[in-house]
Amino acid sequence: MNEFFNAMGVMVYRQLKRFTRARSRVIGSIFNPLIWMVFFGLGWSGLFTSSMAKLLFRGLDYMSFLAPGMVMMAIFTASLFSGMSVIWDREFGFLKELLVAPASRTAIILGRSIGDALTALAQGVVILAASFLLAKQLTPTGIPLAVAIGLLAAIAFTSMGIALASTMRSFEGFNLITTFLMLPLLFLSGAFYPIDSLPLWLKALVYLNPLTYAVDATRYALTGVSSFNILHSTAALALSAVILTLAATYTFKKSTIE
Amino acid sequence: MAAIVAEKLTKVFNGFKAVNEVSFEVKEGEIFGFLGPNGAGKTTTINMLITLMKPTSGHALVAGYDVVKEPEKVRGKIGVVFQDQSIDRELTGWENLWLHGLVYGVPRSTLRQRIRQLLKLVELEGFANTPVKKYSGGMIRRLEIARALIHRPEILFLDEPTLGLDPQSRAKVWDYILDLRKEHGMTIFLTTHYIEEAERLCDRVAIIDHGKIIALGSPEELKQSIGGELIYLKVSENPSLYSAFLEKLSDIQGVLSVKTLGNRQLSLRVKSASTTIPAIFDLAQAAGVKISEIKYTKPSLNDVFLQLTGRALRDEEASWRDHARLRTQARWRR
Ligand SMILES: Nc1ncnc2c1ncn2[C@@H]1O[C@H](COP(=O)(O)OP(=O)(O)OP(=O)(O)O)[C@@H](O)[C@H]1O
Ligand SMILES: [Mg+2]
Repeated sequence: MNEFFNAMGVMVYRQLKRFTRARSRVIGSIFNPLIWMVFFGLGWSGLFTSSMAKLLFRGLDYMSFLAPGMVMMAIFTASLFSGMSVIWDREFGFLKELLVAPASRTAIILGRSIGDALTALAQGVVILAASFLLAKQLTPTGIPLAVAIGLLAAIAFTSMGIALASTMRSFEGFNLITTFLMLPLLFLSGAFYPIDSLPLWLKALVYLNPLTYAVDATRYALTGVSSFNILHSTAALALSAVILTLAATYTFKKSTIE
Repeated sequence: MAAIVAEKLTKVFNGFKAVNEVSFEVKEGEIFGFLGPNGAGKTTTINMLITLMKPTSGHALVAGYDVVKEPEKVRGKIGVVFQDQSIDRELTGWENLWLHGLVYGVPRSTLRQRIRQLLKLVELEGFANTPVKKYSGGMIRRLEIARALIHRPEILFLDEPTLGLDPQSRAKVWDYILDLRKEHGMTIFLTTHYIEEAERLCDRVAIIDHGKIIALGSPEELKQSIGGELIYLKVSENPSLYSAFLEKLSDIQGVLSVKTLGNRQLSLRVKSASTTIPAIFDLAQAAGVKISEIKYTKPSLNDVFLQLTGRALRDEEASWRDHARLRTQARWRR
């Protein structure tokens, strides 16, 4: 058991170390949500001033509605793309070094996703800080809960990234699938607009999307407004994290050398 | 107890037998080599022994443990230097060794000390805090050797340890390997397609081709097995006298075979060059043939390979492919 946590800790350390060396990648995943907040958020919030709009966003101004979604967007993108390092490790042979180590492969994969989740969370926190500058109706007391939800979401989505990377095996394949997944998952998450009045078939997809619960729980933490009961959304997110972690462990083990 | 036992080890990839019923034993403290051309099945054999691949059939024990039934036990006893680079390029040399030691459960204080010693051994102390992506190929190889030693493995696996290295780096790596054996009595299993490497380092060599071991023994034994010595001679006279001379050559006592190589050159396989050469001169004089050049060599492992397969284990061709492979790696590295 001790060895298990030791190996996990080493992988966390390694992913964090690597992260501090790769600053250019970070800029990409922070830049995107910032662009959305500034250009999209500020743009629309000038228009959404009527009482009708207030009703639409449950009493929030548009910027405050959008900000929690953008925090989650940063975490989601960073997490998903961190799966790329699995492909790098295979390409550069480091994977073999891990596979001949007398350490549990489950420990290695868990450590890896926790390490990457922490780096993704750090990027989310940067956007969170920016949100408080741009949006007026956010409550600082909600920050701890938002960070906790962020970590849970980060673990879920790094596992998703690892599972995809282990299945796809090539940079091209991984990029293709993430590009295809990313936008639909974001638009069907309630990050940009309320999901309550979507047509039924879209709503079904929204409910299947783990990002929906992450966004909703973060919005609850930061503004008190949400579509789901916070306990329900947290439970759904936790369940997604468990399923995705199992998927990551399974695909990683299966995709190893032979 | 033998350090490694392989029994009819076989690996089939989509119907293609990459390794075909390979059996051998490696004694404790021995340097054992697999010598063979590209694609012979060397890496595949290593991958099965180090638990990265499951054998299609056959068994192997490494450090007394079955590679299929107790892979974790095997992993704890071995150190591996892979054929292709397997280092984290974003991290520094020190960080790579540190991570490795921690994963293998080396206590931190011991680990610090060992890293210092090993970096010194492979002459990289000055580059401990440099990211590996700034290292040369030779430096990376040395770092990988240091890394494989951090947890003091009982058995060290080296897959083409000097592939693509310049002669100086190669000589250094050879020195480390010989030192390791001398100081720690470590068992070493290595693969190579360089003849010189096999002859210089290995106590025993298995020659492998198309997935099969075609000869096994000490370099000396192998060379003796093809029999005697080789004499090359060049004659510079009238070809009409030459055919009679040729016929009589094979009648000399101790001559095992005669081959014409064209351009009035001949090669003879003989039991002992020192007694046959005078007889050749006598015969030449009697036949009126003038010998313009003569030299003799003991057979090399290359001659052994040639004898057994009819092909040469050519170094040039192989190194051309190595370069191509290193280039493809470099493409990813930038
Ligand atoms: N994963 C694989 N799938 C299919 N074929 C493979 C695989 N790995 C190796 N082979 C094939 O098996 C044969 C033996 O390969 P192997 O890598 O063991 O050779 P090697 O002796 O190490 O040669 P090299 O000098 O190229 O390293 C080759 O023909 C190779 O193409
Ligand atoms: Mg090989």
